Amino acid sequence: MSTTAPATHSPRLDDGSAPTDLPAVKNPWLVVTIREITVKLTDRNFLLSTVLTLVLIVAGIGLSAFLGSRTADYTVVVTSGEGREVASGATNTITSGDSGDTLTIKEAADEQAARQQVLDGDADVALVLTDQGWILVGRDSVDGTLGGALSASVTSSVLAANAEAAGTTVATLTAGSEVTTELLEGSDERNALKSAASFAFAFLFYMAAIIFGMAIANSVLEEKQNRVVEILATAIPIRQLLYGKVIGNSLLAFAQIGLFAVVALVGLNLTGAASDFGWLLGASGWFIAFFVAGFTALAAVWAVLGSLASRSEDLQSNTGPITTVIMVALFAGIFADGTWLTVASYVPVVSSVAMPVRLLDGNVAMWEPLVSLLVVIATAYALLRLGERVYQRAVMQGGTALSWRQALKLEV
Amino acid sequence: MTNHTPSLEVRNLMRSFGDKTAVDDVSFTVEPGQMTGFVGANGAGKTTTMRMIMGVLTVHGGEVLWGDRPITARDRTRFGYMPEERGLYPKQPILDQLIYLGQLRGMTRKDAASEATRMLERFGLGDRLKDKLESLSLGNQQRVQITASLLHRPAALVLDEPFSGLDPVAVDSMVDLLRDRLREGVPVLFSSHQLDLVDRLCDSLVVLAGGKVMAAGKSAELRARGPRQFAITTAPDAGWLRGMPGVQVVDVDGARAVLELDDAATQDRVLREAVARGLSEFTPLVPSLSDIYREVTR
Repeated sequence: MSTTAPATHSPRLDDGSAPTDLPAVKNPWLVVTIREITVKLTDRNFLLSTVLTLVLIVAGIGLSAFLGSRTADYTVVVTSGEGREVASGATNTITSGDSGDTLTIKEAADEQAARQQVLDGDADVALVLTDQGWILVGRDSVDGTLGGALSASVTSSVLAANAEAAGTTVATLTAGSEVTTELLEGSDERNALKSAASFAFAFLFYMAAIIFGMAIANSVLEEKQNRVVEILATAIPIRQLLYGKVIGNSLLAFAQIGLFAVVALVGLNLTGAASDFGWLLGASGWFIAFFVAGFTALAAVWAVLGSLASRSEDLQSNTGPITTVIMVALFAGIFADGTWLTVASYVPVVSSVAMPVRLLDGNVAMWEPLVSLLVVIATAYALLRLGERVYQRAVMQGGTALSWRQALKLEV
Repeated sequence: MTNHTPSLEVRNLMRSFGDKTAVDDVSFTVEPGQMTGFVGANGAGKTTTMRMIMGVLTVHGGEVLWGDRPITARDRTRFGYMPEERGLYPKQPILDQLIYLGQLRGMTRKDAASEATRMLERFGLGDRLKDKLESLSLGNQQRVQITASLLHRPAALVLDEPFSGLDPVAVDSMVDLLRDRLREGVPVLFSSHQLDLVDRLCDSLVVLAGGKVMAAGKSAELRARGPRQFAITTAPDAGWLRGMPGVQVVDVDGARAVLELDDAATQDRVLREAVARGLSEFTPLVPSLSDIYREVTR
């Protein structure tokens, strides 16, 4: 900066020039928002907890993929040709599908030797034919899949022999006995994924609402407690401070949830744990919209709670009601059903979880989420306006913890 | 470059808390380029007045003027303010929070950063820019606080007890900074308990007691308003002064006495008599601000 430049906006401390007429800040809330975000992004605890959660998500998906794709190699020891035949019958069952499991059949000289092999761990089970019939010998347990396959094989082999002896066939005997399972809604995989998604919606909302809500309250309280707010109030309208905080922390919450969601969906896709989740994206999109509105409504309340407190201990007592509402949202998402869920999907804040959960089912009319969303947005607006009034009064009032009513009675 | 900035004036300011009147019809003017000391006992209403000037507290009566018009929020944005209870972010690096405060007052990030760095360097804190505020000593925290109020080259300064907690060296460097501002024609109002400091620094004085202004004006005028006192030394004993008409003897100690004289004629008579007896000292005594303060708040 040259001193000959008359229009410089970089005044020097000792040059004896007159006070500068600085331009007014256009969007004070934006300066506040940027600071809130910067402070959080340089906060080691925040970064650490975010990374930790990501690791947990990735590990969870990885683990379920691993468990799903793990193959088993079974060994059965038999003592006779009949035994080998029955075991071969089980091989088809075990190796069928894409499980990748295998069955090795070994032969032992007699029952004694077969039992010894099981004891030594050379075979998983021994299949022996005695006078009392077939016996499956395991060491301390018999694997469910292996035991089931071998038993079924024994049954069908004995059944076939008996049928032949009776002069008929197995097909005749079992005609009409088959029971097929049919799901009226979705598939097994889809239903499992649906309840996982419900839980994820409920838990993500709960987590973000509590963690970022507390962050807002603490950030307000910090300024109140250290009287920075008195300086800030002389620089910008105090309302702008509230907006900046609510917007900054809300953006952080959305970004974090978005990050978790992207990592989770990419993970599911890569591991192939869920082959088709296009239907999930629709509900997820709604979840984000409801999350934004519900979170903003809560954010205004959290900011007020921070301004009403005078020490951080006060926060523990005055945040009880809001925490309860958030818990209700959590449990509604996980447990509510039928009419309860329908009602919950229209209650502001609780609807942030309940409506997306209903949408997962699919049987929701298009107008329903729209109406519910409007209700939350209206609530958020009302809470923000009310919050503004309480916040402006309470944040300047040090000394003791205040109630909403007391704060509204105060003079600005 | 004086008279560039307007003066800061409060007119018939009133404020009560419940039944208690904290500020009662307070009027005074802080002239541009003048350092005005605001003194008074605890609870006299200094902080309440300053908070009303800064718009942090609602005014119940009267008004605050910036130049010849009522002050606006925009005007206050350009003021520098140091609240009674110190206020900054304890867990934030000092440079970061100064930049933030500068930005809120309309500075660019870059300007705020260079200006804050410069001022902190001047305070000997150049190597601690990235340190958290709470890791600094109280005196150094105070320096950061002062920097916060001066950073944006304010058009006026309202400082509540700016010198409390500062060591003499820090007081001096702060006074230097304030003098720079005064040269630019900025009106400065500061409150203090330290009367000797006020005595040394102030061009003008406002004395508050029980929410009312007890005295206000230029320091020199206030001094002149007090009773004229003289110190006199006549050997071997000053006791003879007691009987003289028009003379009030405030104090006698052997050959030395402190007098108040009714008029110039009395002064002539006293001097003539003293010269005849052997005069070795006759000095007019200038009252200190402490004296004025005690006098007006008695």
